Amino acid sequence: MSSRFASTVLASLVLLASTILPASAAVTVKFWHSFNKEGGEALDKIIASFEAANPDVDVEAEFVGNYNDIVAKLQAAIPANRAPDAVILEVTRYGLFADRGVLTDLTPYFDADPLKDDLYGYAREIGVYKGKNYIVPFNSSTPVLYYNKDIFARAGYTAEPPLKTFDDILAVSRTITDKLGADGITGIAAPGQFARWGLVMGNDSELIDSKTNDILLDTPNTIDAYKWMSSLVYEHKVASADGVTEEDNGRDAFLAGKVGIMLNSTGNYGGSKKALGDNLVVKPMPCNKVCSVPIGGAGIGILASSPKDVQDAAYKFISYAASPEANATWFAATGYLPINKKSAALPVAAEALKSQPGIDVAIEQLPFAHGRARPPVVTWMRTTEYKMWEAMALGQRGVEETMKDFAAQTRAEAARQ
Amino acid sequence: MLRKLTPYLFVAPLIAFIAVFTYVPIVSSLNLSFREWDFLTPNMPFVGLDNYRELLSKRDFWASLHVTAGFAAISVPLRLALALLIASYLTRETLVSRLLRGALFLPYVTSTVSIAVVFSWVFSTDYGMANAALRFFGVAKVSWLQDPTLALWVLIFVNTWKQLGYDVVIYIAGLQAIPQELYDAAAVDGGRPGHVFRRVTMPLVMPTTYFLLVISVIEAFQVFTIVNVMTRGGPAGATDLLVNQLYRIGFVLFDIGQGSALAVILFVLLVALALIKSRILGKRVHYEA
Repeated sequence: MSSRFASTVLASLVLLASTILPASAAVTVKFWHSFNKEGGEALDKIIASFEAANPDVDVEAEFVGNYNDIVAKLQAAIPANRAPDAVILEVTRYGLFADRGVLTDLTPYFDADPLKDDLYGYAREIGVYKGKNYIVPFNSSTPVLYYNKDIFARAGYTAEPPLKTFDDILAVSRTITDKLGADGITGIAAPGQFARWGLVMGNDSELIDSKTNDILLDTPNTIDAYKWMSSLVYEHKVASADGVTEEDNGRDAFLAGKVGIMLNSTGNYGGSKKALGDNLVVKPMPCNKVCSVPIGGAGIGILASSPKDVQDAAYKFISYAASPEANATWFAATGYLPINKKSAALPVAAEALKSQPGIDVAIEQLPFAHGRARPPVVTWMRTTEYKMWEAMALGQRGVEETMKDFAAQTRAEAARQ
Repeated sequence: MLRKLTPYLFVAPLIAFIAVFTYVPIVSSLNLSFREWDFLTPNMPFVGLDNYRELLSKRDFWASLHVTAGFAAISVPLRLALALLIASYLTRETLVSRLLRGALFLPYVTSTVSIAVVFSWVFSTDYGMANAALRFFGVAKVSWLQDPTLALWVLIFVNTWKQLGYDVVIYIAGLQAIPQELYDAAAVDGGRPGHVFRRVTMPLVMPTTYFLLVISVIEAFQVFTIVNVMTRGGPAGATDLLVNQLYRIGFVLFDIGQGSALAVILFVLLVALALIKSRILGKRVHYEA
């Protein structure tokens, strides 16, 4: 009796295990990202198609805020042992995490992955820190110039005015503000940090030298670019101060049809197109002294603290996210740059290029797009830059004095790190 | 033996709770203030007083202390004066005063984040209700949150609006505890309202004032959410109150050692302020009528 009972229990356990084990064998990859709205929807689609093709991997994606929020939350999560397995990190800020051994060296994975040869050179470069691969690119961008055709027409522009130099842009912004200011419309949105970096590069300078990591915040061309940007708000009053203290306010005002020109990431294309429809026009960034734009966006890294099987599963996912199919979906939905050479040939991307005018402007800028320095001090510098920018744009401190002080502080911080 | 232990057993859970969530973090903060740590590395080298030295040599710290002191110096008297004034009108037990008390108390129990978000929109330069109202009267738009002088006043206004209800309720309780006979006696002696207020109400409501003063000064030095949501310490550091700076150093720049040093300094500062208040005002506080 007892042996029969034992056999029954054993058989039941075997049966139970056989039903449970396949389900529990799926590896869960906890993934933090920074995409909501159009980007979030497109990412959900990519994850769904990855999971359908890889039933042994479950990607638990979580939107945790913008790039700054991710850096902050990741740093707080690490000592609490609550870090995710994979995380989106902005291209200039992952160096800190690579430097501290938080991110897994993906070089062995990447070298063995056929994806490596499919990526554009600029996209491959994004993930390299001190000769090793720490992130795989996902959403790459350059800043572009957006304008509202309807506002231009109301301001009296029957043909497109020149928008190549700082003077051109100021002239148009002034005309719009003068003619439509009474209707609550301003010429230009105060440039956000990514656009500010682009304007400095267009003025033939940099914030940090991408080869030597020298701090270039106090070089004459950088200072001149900041003088011009600040003057839009403080001196000429063609940009609202609302966008200085909270840069999303500038973007939101542009989307609401209250601003003529916006300099922003190509990743805003999807949202802008949805908001402005045929009134949206996309042009390259101004080439004040030279044509040069920064490559921005982010890539996905894997945490060194995750178990090996989870890291393997996470790599499978991030490799898929950069595949032609996923990248074409992402490009068409958001306007971020194609990172995979094979993406553009796929129907979804080809259709976007044909039917969405302006989505290709960022691609056209690639010949003069450059990667940026990413030593650990960049995280500190970018955080501090907001405060310095506010002081200059709101007329609290002179540009030259502020930038020299900023450069000195950044050099001291770099030496301390 | 058990009889002796029983009371301690009753309070033990609470003591454990306070120890874990209050005293351990204080001691831990003190320990971290002597170390260098960025959350990412397991090593926390001991650096002695370096964090304090560096912090005290920073212009930002002194600017922040100055802004915080200004915020407290304006908002605390404003809150207490308004609260006493309103409370003296709402002491009577009528339906209207009960409704008004509830209405005034509502912001105090409303989420600070929600309040800050709503007021960010109210004071938006281009689309805010405040500027829409000014426009109605032909006044040009004002950069409420972008003007370094105005931004602090906006925060003082929002903070006062949120906290006022609590102060009013405490004052009402204090005012209602004053025996009616004293007012009757003052009336018989021909005391005018202002005189009665100064000679009877003010001295007898002093314990309440003292309590609210201690609480509101501590609260003013700890304001964070409104600042973080509405201005993030800007524009150009004009609203960078101490706790916001602590957050930025610790959780944005990830200098945990220096952030902890600032927390310790803030703690010492608040204890010192409480002692000074106790010395100056303690003698004027009478708990008996």
